[in-house]
Amino acid sequence: MTKKRLLAALPLFLGALTLAIAATGCGGSKSSTSSSSSSGGTFRLGTASGIDSLNPYVAFNQDAYSAFEYTYPILVQYDSNLHYAPFFAKSWHASNDGKTWTFKTQPNAKWTDGKPLTAADAAWTINTDIKYKDGGAANAAGLVNHITKATAPNATTLVVKYDEAPGPTWVLGQFQQFFILPQHIWAQHIGKDGAGLKTFPNNAPVVGSGPFTLVKYQKNQITLFKRNDSYWGTKPKIDEFGLQQYSNDDAMVTALKSGDLDAIETVPATAMKTLRNAGFEVSDVPGLDQTDFIINSNPQKKTHRELLDLKVKEAFDHAINRQKIDEVTFLGAAQPAVSIIPAPAGAGWHNPHLKPVTFDLDLANKLLDQAGFKRGPGGIRVADGQKMSYNVVAPTDVQSIPRTFQILQTDFAKIGVQLKQQALDSSAAFAKMTSPNNTYQGFDLAMWDWTALIDPDFMLSVVTCDQYGGWSDSGYCDKDYDKMYTEQQVAPSEAKRRQIVWAMQAKLYKDRPYLWLANDDSVAAVSSDWADFQNTAQGPFNELNIESLTQVHQK
Amino acid sequence: MSEASLFVEAPPEGGKSRRGFVLRTIRRQPAALAGALFLLAMTVTAILAPWIAPYPLHEQVGPVFGHPSWQHLLGLDDGGIDMVTLLIWGLRVSLVVGFAATLVSMVIGGTVGLVAGYFGGGTDTVLMRITDYFLVIPDVPLMIVVAAIWGPSLFHIIIVIGILLWTSTARVVRAQVKSVRERVYVKRARALGAGHARIVVRHVLPQVAPLLIASTVLTIAVAIFDETALAFLGLSDPSAISLGKLIENAAERAAISTGAWWAIVPPGVLVAALILACSLVGGALEDALNPRLRVAHLSARSFRLRTLVGRGKGAV
Amino acid sequence: MRGTDYVLKRVGFAIVTVFVAVTINFVLFRLAPGDAVTNLSRVPHATPQLRHALEVQFGLDKSKWQQYVIYLKQLAHGNLGISYTNQQPVSTNLRDKLINTLPMVTLGTVFAIVFGTFTGVIAAWRRGTKAERATVFSALGFYAMPTQWLGLMLIIIFAGVLPTGGMTNEFLLDPPFWTHVRDLASHIFLPALTLGLVLYGEYTLIVRSAMLETLGEDYILTARAKGLKPRTIVRKHALRNALLPITTLIALSLGYIVAGAILVEIVFSWPGIGSAVNDAVHQRDYPMLQGAFLVLTVSVIFFNLVADLLYFRLDPRITE
Repeated sequence: MTKKRLLAALPLFLGALTLAIAATGCGGSKSSTSSSSSSGGTFRLGTASGIDSLNPYVAFNQDAYSAFEYTYPILVQYDSNLHYAPFFAKSWHASNDGKTWTFKTQPNAKWTDGKPLTAADAAWTINTDIKYKDGGAANAAGLVNHITKATAPNATTLVVKYDEAPGPTWVLGQFQQFFILPQHIWAQHIGKDGAGLKTFPNNAPVVGSGPFTLVKYQKNQITLFKRNDSYWGTKPKIDEFGLQQYSNDDAMVTALKSGDLDAIETVPATAMKTLRNAGFEVSDVPGLDQTDFIINSNPQKKTHRELLDLKVKEAFDHAINRQKIDEVTFLGAAQPAVSIIPAPAGAGWHNPHLKPVTFDLDLANKLLDQAGFKRGPGGIRVADGQKMSYNVVAPTDVQSIPRTFQILQTDFAKIGVQLKQQALDSSAAFAKMTSPNNTYQGFDLAMWDWTALIDPDFMLSVVTCDQYGGWSDSGYCDKDYDKMYTEQQVAPSEAKRRQIVWAMQAKLYKDRPYLWLANDDSVAAVSSDWADFQNTAQGPFNELNIESLTQVHQK
Repeated sequence: MSEASLFVEAPPEGGKSRRGFVLRTIRRQPAALAGALFLLAMTVTAILAPWIAPYPLHEQVGPVFGHPSWQHLLGLDDGGIDMVTLLIWGLRVSLVVGFAATLVSMVIGGTVGLVAGYFGGGTDTVLMRITDYFLVIPDVPLMIVVAAIWGPSLFHIIIVIGILLWTSTARVVRAQVKSVRERVYVKRARALGAGHARIVVRHVLPQVAPLLIASTVLTIAVAIFDETALAFLGLSDPSAISLGKLIENAAERAAISTGAWWAIVPPGVLVAALILACSLVGGALEDALNPRLRVAHLSARSFRLRTLVGRGKGAV
Repeated sequence: MRGTDYVLKRVGFAIVTVFVAVTINFVLFRLAPGDAVTNLSRVPHATPQLRHALEVQFGLDKSKWQQYVIYLKQLAHGNLGISYTNQQPVSTNLRDKLINTLPMVTLGTVFAIVFGTFTGVIAAWRRGTKAERATVFSALGFYAMPTQWLGLMLIIIFAGVLPTGGMTNEFLLDPPFWTHVRDLASHIFLPALTLGLVLYGEYTLIVRSAMLETLGEDYILTARAKGLKPRTIVRKHALRNALLPITTLIALSLGYIVAGAILVEIVFSWPGIGSAVNDAVHQRDYPMLQGAFLVLTVSVIFFNLVADLLYFRLDPRITE
């Protein structure tokens, strides 16, 4: 082949290529439906995290749960003050013995495929979750705890029976996170022992009944929602809403700046100032995410038992420069964290009497001296003949860890404690921490983060003995604490429950399975063309209620 | 480099004045000389890092993404740490990875090439078949998989890169050994009853060594480059600040949209300069030493002998 | 027929290599510490029963040997397993991703081939001039830049002018054809350019070397002596002969390009196979990773074979 012929072939080739590209692209967007007479426009939200699955029994990410909040019926939601408000349930009451709860649900509601949505769907979902709570429905098992049975005597009445009288806020707190699924779709996919609940892809368009219908989903790329015109509640002002995922923060911020996005739900701290200067509305509200420094508190721990010494834990706490972490890692978009229940959690569940300890290296040194751990070679203290030198398990997917670790490492060196970062991806990190066989002997120290819910039950549960191999990442196990945990679930009044919840926090504050580092803000940015886009502790796209995206509108 | 050519040069006149030829070649190629000097300067800088870095490596000396100033010529990074300091230490880590991984690949590749070329026959066939398999494994995905499975650590990265980069060395060395083996003095030594070890050490190795060095310089470039890629994917040791890690840190913390170009441009420029220097030096050396590597003389399979292409697969 | 022998030998080698790759692929992943169940069962109230059920579901309860046999059998049926994360067939996932990767990679490669050949020829022909020096240094420069860094630099330069992430504007529902093409073109530009520039450097150097080689041959000297126009010499004689190594080299490199697009895809959030590999790594989605790795390896083997056969076709003298 001569060059001439080669060159002559090129335009042909390029032409074919263009066509090929066009063809693939067309294939990609064919699932979109014809847009309705548009007036409200499309709201484009950028995220760094995204929806990992459309199946509620599989999904893990916050964005997935937020998507369910907008697409599935839920009995109750939070109002803007984080009190419980009617949603699919118009009203509710408990029986005198507190063991039976009755919900009156919305009449004339429909699923997006036109089938009626009734209390029977709710009862079916609850019963299915109970039946398969050790199998396919394990994800939702905590939500149906204590429930023995749910029935729907008529289309708008749901009756739920409990084995013992649960606390009222606890009941509502669980139902606020409970997505009611369409029985006529899901009943066909249960499979053997409920395993099918986990394998059903629940592809778009998803049959739901919320203010939006999820019409298009491409993992790690885009999720599109269309306004659901058959929705029984207040309809959104926008026609469509899309969640676009970016694997590179810079590309995301750039997209917002150049008008390819209308808002970002996870603004990197470093970009806040730039975006403000560029005329975007950057909202920075206290959030529910807290980073932590975990001390293996397994009472049966075999090595480095000095770490179970409360004096040592206290000394470590004094060596944490929370202000610097706030400044450097979060650029001010965080508060010092102090308790397992972060301050922005709802209804006063956070114990306000707990205060972060001071950053005081002298005091920390004194405490360690008093404990009798003298400095050995290299200035590293020695405890029971062993150097106080520890690997810190650090999951690689928590972005704030590397910077925070450097700050901790430098300060801990000054109190004669050597920290070494052991970076592992999150599943390897968890496997290491729980090893061997969920006995929590495999690690000394770790760093991670927790994102709390509004209701404190879940966060309080992660340090119970029951959670070994489940959510526990500290090995903490204390009988008294577990007793209080059960008590708060069945506390007869909100005030009583609060009292127990505060006491539990105080106990953890003293026992220190976690040294809480920073409670980072939820930072969102929106273009000035839009109004009433609300940011919350859980971000603008959240599972608290459906306000943010039903309210947002073009200016 | 008017006469120049980076990769094509007149063949040496016989084997005897080879070393002199190398020097002459380098002198005739100012670009290669500049590359060599640059590499030397960078190596010295890296070795002296603890003494010449202007600030402590982990100390915050100003605001996050502080602008360049007289105190901090290249500004501060996302932890408020001096960029010049970070670059010096990053250079050190990157070079350590480059040299160590190259050493691993030299030992494996050198041994395989030597054994295959020297013994020939069945040994040669088997070893070259294995080399063929290694050649077709796409190295970047494999590095990702292995680094991900073993966990991110500098040591793992060095081993992984080393294990994947030996094939070209093995082929170069094998070809050279084969030709050396047939030379008169080697045959004579064998006839005189010298053992294999003695022949290899006394006669073959000295002839192959210069080529091994040329190949080394090119492999260093590939290793540095691969480490940069793995670091960007979050598979490098987070506590080892390499040049690749600096790029990743800056990208993770949105340095570009913050306008902090000084956190992301210099590390990339430094990596590019290192690879450029290695290519210039390695290419010049290789051409000078082994004119038979010239492209058109080779069969398709051997094209990948050229680290040029070897790196290419890592390049994208 | 030595020719047929040669072809058969190369094809045979390719098949054996695929088998070896499949085996390495299996072993590599089974050696991994901490299986995916750890991740999957991290749900509240996970019981040993649930863990076991998940192990059975993913076939992790059988012996390694049984798992290998099952793996081979499934593979023979084109079944690459089920992704741990989205519970969909890996083959479907990969096909979708590959379809996204190919146009971007092809565009970048075509760019690199066209410009690489052009500048390579110029550099060789203008040997010893400033033009050559400039070309060689620019090529070496691009060749030396870390890919991800070059991509980030392009984001700095083109921020606000071109989209910096994604493949299309997903918010355009049912766009008119040309709007769609324009949208796609604007999204594909930066990633393809990044890939193209890196390859451009490499191809320029290859073409230049091959051309220099040819230009030194006797028949070129003869042609010069005959007083042929330089342009004619390059086109009719030098380039024609240099095409042999160039074509094979490019075929060889094609196999690696798909594998190598990983960095570019991550920088530009391009939803292709590279991003899929990256996601699978971070989520420990072994079936997905295994499948992707297999596809990448097989594509390299395939293009190796193509290069071999192409070389044979262009120069039948070769039989080794």
